Amino acid sequence: MNMKRTKLICAAGVNESTGSYRESNAGLTPSAALHELRLQPISLVAAKHIIIRNHYLHSFPGGTKLHIGVFLGTRLLGALTLGVGPFLGYKIVRDAEPTDVITLTRLWLSDELPSNTESKVLGILLRELKKSTNLKFVLAYSDPAAGHVGTIYQGTNWFYIGLSSATPLYDIGDGKLHYSRSLAHQLGSHSMKYWNSKGLAVKTIPQMAKHKYIYFLDESWRSRLAVPELPFPKKEGNSGNHGNH
Amino acid sequence: MEIMEIIELPVEALKEASWNVNQIDHAMLQRLRSSINKYGLVQNLVVRPIGNTYEVLSGNQRLMLLREFKVSKVPCVVVEVDDAHARLLAQALNNIHGDDDLGLKAELIRNVMKKIPEEEILAILPDTVESLKDMASLGQETLAGYLQNWNQAQAAKLKNLLVKFTKEQLPTVEKAIEKAIPEAKKQPGIGPNTRGTALYMICKSYLDKDG
Repeated sequence: MNMKRTKLICAAGVNESTGSYRESNAGLTPSAALHELRLQPISLVAAKHIIIRNHYLHSFPGGTKLHIGVFLGTRLLGALTLGVGPFLGYKIVRDAEPTDVITLTRLWLSDELPSNTESKVLGILLRELKKSTNLKFVLAYSDPAAGHVGTIYQGTNWFYIGLSSATPLYDIGDGKLHYSRSLAHQLGSHSMKYWNSKGLAVKTIPQMAKHKYIYFLDESWRSRLAVPELPFPKKEGNSGNHGNH
Repeated sequence: MEIMEIIELPVEALKEASWNVNQIDHAMLQRLRSSINKYGLVQNLVVRPIGNTYEVLSGNQRLMLLREFKVSKVPCVVVEVDDAHARLLAQALNNIHGDDDLGLKAELIRNVMKKIPEEEILAILPDTVESLKDMASLGQETLAGYLQNWNQAQAAKLKNLLVKFTKEQLPTVEKAIEKAIPEAKKQPGIGPNTRGTALYMICKSYLDKDG
């Protein structure tokens, strides 16, 4: 073993975090920062790590199909996931099939990014989904329980189509609330009776309905919308949590 | 804030804290051993005096290895704290740290992998070959390429069609499919499901005959 006898002065030996965006991009204005923003795929493992650590729900959605990182320079300052939404969600558009739709299931952006990053990120994402896939429309949900009304969708040409049915979350005593689909992935069944038979004390936690938005990647499909477009809901006060959706 | 001075203490004067909650498994201990072997002891221990000995608040696993390496003196920072503050400081030293920015980490790993052989990295970092490659590839693919590949994979996915037959119908259907299979096997790019392709060919031939 190499025992160097260098005299060290150390402030309690506490590890330091990595340098901040502001340090690494000194002098970069918010608009220049937005110009340098990139969306690139990241691994499922990386997406899971970022979303569970940072998103307000601290859970990773079951049925994730696409996982994408938001990069500024070499820094990874956000992540989003797209996947299967609610069962039969595609039926709100006439003659649609499950393969025509994808749901934006998580979006987290670091507070270090400028405030209008959300719309820029959505713009890049939707443009690329239009160009590179056969998807026809995207669904997104905003959680009023977290103070969200979907402001970012309202500013980026989505249509508001009302409230979803309020699906409950489940508490299995691990400190996190789970969606029925996530639990089914983990435990092999959607059935409360089955969970109880396996010795799991699962509590049902009622949830508020969520605001539903739709974006047509193929404009010609807009006329097929089987539910009415409604006026955008308004935000009551400021939740101060703009980076989570 | 006080900047603490590092002093050297004899290893036999250092005692592990019996209340230390931080445990290490065999694999991680081996990595720590490799790291100390490679780079030396680069981090001092934090201790507090108890009688004629010193209790280790931070560095209990390192102390175990230093004994193994038969080191006589260890660089330490000595703090004078009571039991409760000793435990609190130990928790702070173990748990207060930042989180890696995965983008920056990916670049760092790529640079390390250019210079240091994979097996040497894996002897020190708590990674696997796959997790290392996964990290190194972060941010290297374009969004367009990723979505196009995904779209192609979606298009290539097989779909189910559930049909039921009577006992009398089933042998006929089976016989027709079996008969069409040799021809189905010759079809390029239709799909990996030979029976499905055979059934498709039967149906197509029926429709073509009808005009």
